[in-house]
Amino acid sequence: MSGGKSFRSLVMVASCAGAALGCYLVSLRVASERASLEDVETRIVLAQRDLRLLQTEIGTRGRLAQLERWNASVLAMSAPSADQFLNGSFELAKLTQPQHKVEFEAPVVLASAPAPKPSQSPIGQADTDDSGASTSAPPTILLHQASLKTETREVPVKPVDAVPQPTVSKSTDRPVTAASPVAKKSVDKPGLAAAKPVTKPIRLAKNDPLAPLPGKRSAKTPKDSIPAR
Amino acid sequence: MNAPSPALVAPRPERLRLVGQRRQILAVMHQRLMFGMLVFAGVVALIALRILWLAAFGDHAGRKEGLTTLIPERGDIVDRDGEPLARTIDAWTIAIHPGKVIGDKLELARRLAELMPEHSQEQYFALLKSGKPFFYLRRRAPPGLVEAVNALGEPGLAIQQEPDRLYPQTSLAAHVIGYTDIDGHGVAGMERAFDKYLSDEATRGQPLVLSIDSRVQQALEHELLDAMTHFSAIGAAGVVMDIRTGEVLAMTSLPQLNPNAAGEGTDDARFNRATLGVYELGSTFKPFTVAMAMDSGIIKNFGQIYPCPDELHAYGHVVHDTHPYGRPCSVAEIMKESSNIGTAQIADQVGARRQQYFLKKMGFLDPVAIELKERGRTLTPGSRWGPFETMTVGFGHGIAVTPLHLATGYATLFNGGVYRPATLLKVGPNHPVVPGSRVFSEDTSYKLRGLLRLVVTSGTGRKADAPGYRIGGKTGTAEKLANGHYTSAAVVTSFAGVFPMDDPRYVMVMMLDDPKATAETYGFHTAAWNIGPAFGETVSRIAPMLGVRPDKTREPDMSGVLPFVQDSKPEE
Repeated sequence: MSGGKSFRSLVMVASCAGAALGCYLVSLRVASERASLEDVETRIVLAQRDLRLLQTEIGTRGRLAQLERWNASVLAMSAPSADQFLNGSFELAKLTQPQHKVEFEAPVVLASAPAPKPSQSPIGQADTDDSGASTSAPPTILLHQASLKTETREVPVKPVDAVPQPTVSKSTDRPVTAASPVAKKSVDKPGLAAAKPVTKPIRLAKNDPLAPLPGKRSAKTPKDSIPAR
Repeated sequence: MNAPSPALVAPRPERLRLVGQRRQILAVMHQRLMFGMLVFAGVVALIALRILWLAAFGDHAGRKEGLTTLIPERGDIVDRDGEPLARTIDAWTIAIHPGKVIGDKLELARRLAELMPEHSQEQYFALLKSGKPFFYLRRRAPPGLVEAVNALGEPGLAIQQEPDRLYPQTSLAAHVIGYTDIDGHGVAGMERAFDKYLSDEATRGQPLVLSIDSRVQQALEHELLDAMTHFSAIGAAGVVMDIRTGEVLAMTSLPQLNPNAAGEGTDDARFNRATLGVYELGSTFKPFTVAMAMDSGIIKNFGQIYPCPDELHAYGHVVHDTHPYGRPCSVAEIMKESSNIGTAQIADQVGARRQQYFLKKMGFLDPVAIELKERGRTLTPGSRWGPFETMTVGFGHGIAVTPLHLATGYATLFNGGVYRPATLLKVGPNHPVVPGSRVFSEDTSYKLRGLLRLVVTSGTGRKADAPGYRIGGKTGTAEKLANGHYTSAAVVTSFAGVFPMDDPRYVMVMMLDDPKATAETYGFHTAAWNIGPAFGETVSRIAPMLGVRPDKTREPDMSGVLPFVQDSKPEE
């Protein structure tokens, strides 16, 4: 009996010790976790300090006075003028509108141009069916052009030298639109009776510049297009 | 507890006594032993418990302290966008304890002179022999130098990291930020005004946010410096203010000062011309006089006619004009061509009492209201403020104020007539807008827009115009006092302007101290020729940053002034 009693107390002591040890281990674990957390926090703070130092250095090296000096010596940028500010996307789109592309492919037709190109069909290449007609009469095309500009009734006289200036200016303005009706007309009739129907499409194109440009120009005369610019 | 050996013979009585004694002694010994063991066990248990307790809840020996937050030695100063303007960093310092030097002092002096050539070998040697306990050899030393000095291996050399104040933008806004002394206490600018805030441990973790916009500041400084060098002026000052809140967006004083080495700057460079320097700012005062007259009911509209002779004799003095009209002229014309004669008559009608009342309400008679401690005292006629002095003050002579006064005054004129003190702290939740006090009526404020716009579109301020930004403003050229006499050889030119005039938001004052005439100004050194163009250029640079869109189609209401301007101009 007494032996059992002493064993029981031993067991009690052992279990108490075990429990205490367990608690101690838990608290030790917590303490070590906390310590490592603090370690991380310290590292974060140290990293922040380094960041701050580096930021300060970058800021000092790239200070505004230095940027200004670079701008003065290299970039030479200046304040935008009032005209460089736009009111929105519409104004931005408007900026691109007047910049018409010079079509090197388009036939540039000069009123005073000589007619030394009987070899190739400059205009009616796309429309193959009238190509035969156009090859036969290139000078007549030029004469049509002149008549379009003046819009006078004495057009049929075909004075090649009579109205050179207006034609030239017109063709520089819109080489594309000027060229396409010519092609069309040559399709219609090699003779130049229909001056009126030709002028109309030109006016239209002028009033509505945003309309898609006709994509059927052809004939390559790059040499002529350069003076037209 | 051995049982005594059985007594075969009858024990002798003394022996018996002995046995009893022994037993007694043994019992006592047992008692003492037990007690000792208990004490020992108690101590051990106490120690063990304490150790356990410490292990579970105590502080750890290895725990690092103080690094859980990043609080600088002195608070940062940042601009309104958070760009650092002043920071405290750890910098290397090289110092020496001459008493602890064990090597050859001559040799050490020679090596030090090689590494740090700001002193000669003799100077270093004298320093080592001086017997003083401690010397700084170099503060804010570059790492390369620190390494080289460390390689000398002299135990008397002390190399350590010390907190050091750094101004990353160098001279930018130097007079606003100020600088610190060697102990890290502010001695100028905001460093001085907010020294307590910046050094107090409770507050220094949060940076001090200024109202300064560093981009605007840079633009203003650059353009002003350009003008100053171009016209060989001895100094310059500039202020940009938000007229609705009183926030100072940029403030500069030239010549430049590098606060990183403030001690190396001249006294002139350390002087803050924008808040400490007082100047007679001349014709830029005229709008105030007109506004006073409008609020007093003297000027009903800008078509009111005053005689503008070639010279005005008044109270025993003569008032002159640079562009005399020689005919009756309207208020609009007086302002357009900056007529002293016309303004003097308006000021005369306003009278000294009313003039002082208005100037007082605008804060012109007191040191300018701002956080800085460097504030100049206004110079006024004082007790001699008679009728003629009223006239001269009316066109900005005989009264000397700071450029910041002028900016505050223009803000008052154009924000609807409410005076608000200028502030260098960003307006926000912690620093709300001051309600302000009314000085001029809203109607007066509105009508003046057209008047000052007229000066820029067709008057003396034409060169200050920046297309699309609707600048309105006034030129001012005042002769400087030299040896008690006004001389036309030295002038202070200024331009005070507001933009955009159809909805005023920002006021800017620029001033040049003693600009010289150049070939392209045809020998003139008036404001229209030097500070005017600089003003226009600065506005076209800073206005987009401040969110003001240029618009050539907008103008303020000019219907109040244009009908009253005759085409015939006085000869230029």
